[in-house]
Amino acid sequence: MSLLTHILGWPLLAALVLAFVPRNFRFLTRLVALAATFTSAALAVVMFVKFDTDAATDFQFVQILPWVKSLGISYHVGVDGLNVGLVLMGALVSFAACCCAWEIKEREKEFYILLLVMTGGILGAFASLDVFFLYFFHELALVPAFIMIGVWGRGEEKDYATFKITLYLSLGALLALIGLLALYLQMPEDKRTFDLVAMTAHFRAQGMDGSAQQFIFPLLLFGFGILVSLWPFHTWAPLAYGAAPTATAMLHAGVLKKFGLYGLIRIALPMMPEGAAMWMNCLALLCLGNILYCGLVAMKQKDLNLLIGNSSVAHMGFVFLGIASLNVLGITGAVLVMIAHGLLAALSFALSGYLYQQTKTLEMEKLGGLLRQMPFFGAALVMAAMAGCGLPGFANFAGEALIFFGAWTEFRVVTVIAAWGALVIGAVYMLRAVRSVLHGPLPQEWHVAKDVTTPWRRLPFALLLGALLLFGFFPALLTRKIEPVVKQIVKDARAVLKPAITAGVKN
Amino acid sequence: MNDNALPWFILFLPLAAAAVIALFTQRNKTASAALSIAAVVTSFALSVTLFVKLSGETLPNPETFNLRWLHVGNLYVDFGIKLDQLSLLMLLVVTGVGSAIHIYSYGYMHEDRAVSRYFASLSLFMFSMLGIVLAANFVQMFIFWELVGLSSYLLIGHWYERPSAAEACKKAFLTNRVGDFGFLLGILLVWSTLGSINFATLADTLKANPAALLGAAATTAGLLIFCGCVGKSAQFPLHVWLPDAMEGPTPVSALIHAATMVAAGVYMLCRVFFLFTPDALTVIAWIGGITALLAALMAVQQNDIKRILAYSTLSQLGYMVMAVGLGGPASAMYHLTTHAFFKALLFLGAGSVIHALHHEQDIWKMGGLKAKLPITFWTFLVATLALCGVPPLSGYFSKDEILALALGKNQALFAVAAFVAVLTTFYMFRLVFVAFTGPAKSQARDHAHESPAVMTWPLIFLAVLTVVAGFIGIDERYADVLGKPAFGNHNVAVIFGLSAFLIGLFAAWKLYANALSDPIPAASSRLASLLRNKFYFDELYAKIIACTQEALATAADWFDRWIIAGLAVRGAQGATELTGMALRLLQTGNLQTYAFLFVTGVVVLLYVVLR
Repeated sequence: MSLLTHILGWPLLAALVLAFVPRNFRFLTRLVALAATFTSAALAVVMFVKFDTDAATDFQFVQILPWVKSLGISYHVGVDGLNVGLVLMGALVSFAACCCAWEIKEREKEFYILLLVMTGGILGAFASLDVFFLYFFHELALVPAFIMIGVWGRGEEKDYATFKITLYLSLGALLALIGLLALYLQMPEDKRTFDLVAMTAHFRAQGMDGSAQQFIFPLLLFGFGILVSLWPFHTWAPLAYGAAPTATAMLHAGVLKKFGLYGLIRIALPMMPEGAAMWMNCLALLCLGNILYCGLVAMKQKDLNLLIGNSSVAHMGFVFLGIASLNVLGITGAVLVMIAHGLLAALSFALSGYLYQQTKTLEMEKLGGLLRQMPFFGAALVMAAMAGCGLPGFANFAGEALIFFGAWTEFRVVTVIAAWGALVIGAVYMLRAVRSVLHGPLPQEWHVAKDVTTPWRRLPFALLLGALLLFGFFPALLTRKIEPVVKQIVKDARAVLKPAITAGVKN
Repeated sequence: MNDNALPWFILFLPLAAAAVIALFTQRNKTASAALSIAAVVTSFALSVTLFVKLSGETLPNPETFNLRWLHVGNLYVDFGIKLDQLSLLMLLVVTGVGSAIHIYSYGYMHEDRAVSRYFASLSLFMFSMLGIVLAANFVQMFIFWELVGLSSYLLIGHWYERPSAAEACKKAFLTNRVGDFGFLLGILLVWSTLGSINFATLADTLKANPAALLGAAATTAGLLIFCGCVGKSAQFPLHVWLPDAMEGPTPVSALIHAATMVAAGVYMLCRVFFLFTPDALTVIAWIGGITALLAALMAVQQNDIKRILAYSTLSQLGYMVMAVGLGGPASAMYHLTTHAFFKALLFLGAGSVIHALHHEQDIWKMGGLKAKLPITFWTFLVATLALCGVPPLSGYFSKDEILALALGKNQALFAVAAFVAVLTTFYMFRLVFVAFTGPAKSQARDHAHESPAVMTWPLIFLAVLTVVAGFIGIDERYADVLGKPAFGNHNVAVIFGLSAFLIGLFAAWKLYANALSDPIPAASSRLASLLRNKFYFDELYAKIIACTQEALATAADWFDRWIIAGLAVRGAQGATELTGMALRLLQTGNLQTYAFLFVTGVVVLLYVVLR
């Protein structure tokens, strides 16, 4: 069996095993979940190291098991340069999220089962090379997220948040589904298959009818866009992350949310270059909604979780900008930011979740001076804030820099505004958070707050920070894998884009 | 050891020290301090070695050692090391002054609660600063540019429990970020126009084809890059963060906010001097001149010993930037170097005073310290005289170059520079008279005693440098690499410079030699409060930000809460629920109601059809 099948299979298998573990065996429950996610993460590291960078455009660690032959559905997994980093990031975050799930005290067994199913779904979605399974795994991950927020969530708005995220994401997934089916139907009848590789090859060779692209591309753009909180479809995100249990917020904001972006890059761009060329100007404007508008909204938040949630929405704007620029620099940067932001969002929510356990509030006006009481936590939060405002040394910087260089040649004004959003607005809200949570005098009531002391508790934070720093210092570890794949996509898109420019579609 | 490896050691030793302290020696203060000091002193020793080895040779191909950092598409970011006379001398200045201040810090900070955090941040700063000095391309410089911003943030906020310090570090970082915004755009513009970010390649491209970057685009690119300098070197209009940065520990003020980091802007301008058009240089010169003047005026009415020095730093940085703008990068670097020595010395002297007086910083509560702190006083006086440009101290030579440069190029700026020289002497001797030689104004003085040797030796070391730096040919070395500027008449400049000193000294002596309180506010309270409140720049900026970015943020937040999430989303939800409720009213389950509705419907239908 392929390494990839192991990576996504262990969590699912563990979920099945847990179903048979009595509910009062709490230690065993945790142990099984941790062991499974740890195995996944370790195997993902092995896969990342073994990945042959020189053949980054080829799919590696492939496994194909035909399933429904008449419809052309098969279990097909594999990684190329585009998703190898995403799978690694997903597996690392899953393990970290599992470590952070100790805060759950009620109905632990069910929680861990859902967490493991979500993990398996996420990893499956990023590893699948079959459109059916890609979608199936995404839904497999999405549904547990709704349940976890509804049952184990916190705060007064929990029910409303569950309701909202469910409606929004179901809508997004539905639009994407229509788009994907439409793609399937665009194949000639005798060749119809859900196999992503075959579909891409077919459309690359034959091209798709321009009018069909006009219709299908926006379905995928907005369908996937809603899943990634594209402005103005973003209001579910801060609310849901504010209400979600820590591990769920980490997994969703960190990894699952990137699925929509991955879908755009993996499916929409290569198959419909004309549609892409047509919609990219629109996307470049919408991304300002994320970067500028949501950044400004983040400045006004009084609750730490809402601030992080809004900032995570704002960061998605950079990825959209990278995609919109449709060049090697921009899209490579976009994928790099997806990975970096996945690690960072998970880290941020892990930190805010830990803080909530200590203080039972995340209202920043009530907090303060905690750096003295919690030096490890404080140092990690400062680092997360700095990574969030794009400080060099963290992977986010390399990604955002590439996006700026890429976007500068395409959309100059948008880039200027985006740079203001990244350098100034981002710094304003991040430093405000640090100032009000960590700096200043320590109020009497928080003398009870405890730092993260045991190595076990520190592990998830250290793991995520370490990965952010590693890819920040050596971004080429990722870009050398991503770039060849992106080059291929861009080459195809640019080939159709050139006539479009002369026709005056894009000026 | 291989020569090529030396610069890497110089650069990475401090980072290694910072990492080891952060990970392993948090609890052991002495070990942390020792590690940090050892790293910087070794870097200094290696820099000297490198300097001696390379000083005779012309450096053929300085960037022989490049690492590929990020090569994507048509963007090639290498991690390179640029070694020429400019970076070699700057290495010496940074590591030399840095060593003195690290050692001094051990004495100054030994009672602090977080010595390890302090030294880790200080080492991180050294790494970042050395990175700027050695950077071979724009992106690499930008990376370290941001990192010095971070270390400055951490060190200003060292005493984060004090709200003033917590606000100051935030302000410093954000103001710098505004400058960096322009810097980044400038880099993007240069890259998209000239196709490279590498300093050497850019210089070659422009030399081969001067038309590649011309006219408005070139001026824009130059001024955008200058924005980075405006932020980091605290030039008008982004000067507001530097005085507040004095909330950090005094050695930090000496190292970062006087000698090295704030000079990074000037260093960067010299490094990419070939990019600037005459128009851009004119703007740069005036910005420098305005900063020098404004800051000197503000310094006249400050009472906090560190703030006086901070404004003085601003003013001197203005001189340097003006010198660059007047086409004399060599003179700017010369003044940067001498200024690093005597301004670090002034700050360390102030630190010694503050240490002796148990953290008293108001000069009107000092007085009569000359007898109590002899080493501090005499070294402080040497530095003051150097700052005022008194021969034969180093400041005299470098300041004279700038005055002569202005005289030859731009008489208006020469007048500004000469007036600033008067003010400089005036506010510095106000400080010396009130704090050191004048009558004692509080009890604190009686218990004061000289600082320990670990603090006084760095003072003496820097005092020696201040004295000799004018004679060891630093100016010629800079002129070799940056070109000899076109000076005006030196003798005229010297006469103006010395008269400025005498006028300032006389005025200060008249007003402050025996003063117990400041006579200026009594004579002209409006002028005094205008100067004391720094021309109300902080208030003005607070208003501007409140009216623009904050107002936008409030509007966006309101819109998000009430329109997008409220009206649109909840509205759609509400409409659905309302429809549901209305439909439920119809579904009563009562047969008679259904029959009634049915009959009504039939009647209406018949009416419509048969009408």
